[in-house]
Amino acid sequence: MFKKTIIESTGKSPWLFHINAGSCNGCDIEIVSVLTPRYDAERVGFKLVGSPRHADIAVVSGPVTKQSLPRVLRTLEQIPEPRCIVTCGSCPQSGNVFRDSYSVCGPLSKYVHVDVDIAGCTPKPEAIMDGLLLAAQILAEKKKTGNQEATLPNPYAPEKTAEEAKPAEEKTEEKGEA
Amino acid sequence: MDFPFVKQAISQLFSKPSCDMYPFVPIEAAPNYRGRIAYDPNKCIGCGMCVRVCAGKAITLTRTPAEGGENITLTFDLGSCTFCNTCADFCNDNAITLTTDYHMIATKEEDLIVTGTHFKEKKKPAPKPAAAKPAAPAAAATPVKAAASDAPKAEAAPAAEAAPAPAVQPRDDGKPVNDPSKCIYCTLCAKKCPQEAITVDRKAKTWELNADDCVGCGTCQTACPKDAIIM
Repeated sequence: MFKKTIIESTGKSPWLFHINAGSCNGCDIEIVSVLTPRYDAERVGFKLVGSPRHADIAVVSGPVTKQSLPRVLRTLEQIPEPRCIVTCGSCPQSGNVFRDSYSVCGPLSKYVHVDVDIAGCTPKPEAIMDGLLLAAQILAEKKKTGNQEATLPNPYAPEKTAEEAKPAEEKTEEKGEA
Repeated sequence: MDFPFVKQAISQLFSKPSCDMYPFVPIEAAPNYRGRIAYDPNKCIGCGMCVRVCAGKAITLTRTPAEGGENITLTFDLGSCTFCNTCADFCNDNAITLTTDYHMIATKEEDLIVTGTHFKEKKKPAPKPAAAKPAAPAAAATPVKAAASDAPKAEAAPAAEAAPAPAVQPRDDGKPVNDPSKCIYCTLCAKKCPQEAITVDRKAKTWELNADDCVGCGTCQTACPKDAIIM
């Protein structure tokens, strides 16, 4: 009876859970600034919760250190499906300046499916808002289709690089054949 | 009864919210904000200085041989970038700029890659005629390398005598020439060279340039404390 309503309303007020995976605290401060009155993410429905079991979207910051890796994975597992994983900052995507350190196990995408990456060191609060809004849409899409790996086209994807990337790929293929 | 805050409460009720209404009202970044990297491959000379100074190892330079030269591709991974502007600062030809575009979110890796390719012509007879033109440094360089055979040594020595001290002639291809009268062989130019094209031996007091590797970026000239390098 309520199934239709639940499916339609998923993604309208997603609850956030923030995980610090060895971050320098820069991204954490920007996430806080997104939630506080200046940018006020609660105005568009986001709400920070204290338990992963209540959350829909996990925001991970930090380069995923050796210490934090098992805890991060355990926390992410506890988030009920459909869930969205958002990486905040350059660190969880690549390790950034901590790359190749003995204590860094990242990138996070090696271990779990990451839905949205927010680049920046640290990202501007507006950029975090962009990422969270896209994550909310992806969350709704996941609920609708039941596909856990569903994605949506990125509205901020640069058109130029997509065009440039295509011929580059073709070129490498040709070279590989030759 | 006294209600001290009633006036403020009512005025707050009817005032505008203090939030930035971001997704509905677009916000421009501050004028000098360092956001998405813009790379102009036509200005780039492929010296590789940006790759060397990048802390996050976000920049990769690949050279693929092509007909009559090589294709130089620079790839910037914004997912590994700290947006510190060091690459743009060190770029001699201002090929890298950091724009105020902060909308850097990605669902795929390609969304965060900035790349560009330029073609660099390679002159085939580069080393031999080039070495003959600049008189003094070539004379200083060639005997060390060609010490085994007597003939080039004999040729090089009179060349150095024929073109004596006054001034070292700059090369026509825009590559550096060392003035041995000013050079103190401190090896700074060799250390700063992004292509590692300069070899300096402090004991033997030799300065050698590998003209094939040199891209003529001018870093050695700015690094030289004695202004001994002419371009």
